Amino acid sequence: MKLTVNGVIHDVDVEKDMPMLWVLRDILGITGPKYGCGIAQCGACTVHMDGIAVRACQLAAGDVAGEITTIEGLGTPAVRHAVQEAWIDLQVAQCGYCQSGQIMQAASFLELNPTPTDDQIDAAMSGNLCRCGTYPRIREAVKTAALKLKAV
Amino acid sequence: MRTLRGAITGGIIALACAGSARAQDVQGRAAALAAWDDIHAVVSHPRCTNCHVGPSGLPLWEGLGYGGALGKEVVHGMNVRADDSRIGAESMPCRTCHISAASANSVPHAPPKIADAWRLPPIEMAWKGKTSAEICVQLLDPDRNGAFTPEELSDHVGTSAFVAWGFDPGAGRVAAPGSIPEMQEALAIWVVGGTPCVGDP
Repeated sequence: MKLTVNGVIHDVDVEKDMPMLWVLRDILGITGPKYGCGIAQCGACTVHMDGIAVRACQLAAGDVAGEITTIEGLGTPAVRHAVQEAWIDLQVAQCGYCQSGQIMQAASFLELNPTPTDDQIDAAMSGNLCRCGTYPRIREAVKTAALKLKAV
Repeated sequence: MRTLRGAITGGIIALACAGSARAQDVQGRAAALAAWDDIHAVVSHPRCTNCHVGPSGLPLWEGLGYGGALGKEVVHGMNVRADDSRIGAESMPCRTCHISAASANSVPHAPPKIADAWRLPPIEMAWKGKTSAEICVQLLDPDRNGAFTPEELSDHVGTSAFVAWGFDPGAGRVAAPGSIPEMQEALAIWVVGGTPCVGDP
């Protein structure tokens, strides 16, 4: 089947029920999205499908209906996305394992809601768990990114 | 005299017919109320009521074996809320986890998917916590039932991906009782019997 990931069309020979996370990590070698739970309970695998955050661990390859973007396609070290920039500015990450999922969730959220309240930020990010407890920094980074995006 | 006898005979026949019609009405109403009970068993099942919730916009996870304090509703995890959009667009969209696809639900505890955009019904269609009689009256009100006539409800049951999923939720989830044909049959009996609700005069 043909899958578009980070703007590149890939022809992959996989079963339709293979989780997209397996396709990304094991077939395409794109390892930014992480495995956490396998059932959309933790958010570590979050990628975008046509701009909307989705959990790649339980998105079957055969169910993909749109272009997939991973953290590798969100921005580059030279030209970072505002959310990535804010994450660095505020040094959000502790161990970092969940952070690509957090950033992808936040980037999609700000597309839908550019001027969120703290309450909405908390609600939007509640599906992304961080065992290091970086939640206060995550919230501040989302607010910072919202301001950056507004200024663009 | 002949005329009077004829009139009496005719009157007796008419009374007998009226009595028979009344008996049929009573039978039809009883059958319709019994059919409503079957309909109510479906619409009050957690597969339906978990999303037919009110202004809180908080879907539920009842009937999934996740427990919860006695007498307390089991609210959907991840702090999700449907918000005014009823699709969570203001915070986390339902489709972040509930994929729109017709493929089978086979992974236990993973979010269910259907061939439609996962969402909560409009607030006016909420019936979680209402009595059977209240839901019955609601389903007859186009302003609170999705703008369906009673006859059209059967078509809705036959075509809605949400309803189909409720009867076949997969991945070990308990299904709503019965089947789509049985639900449609119950609706037909209910309609033929005059769509009575418990407590109707």
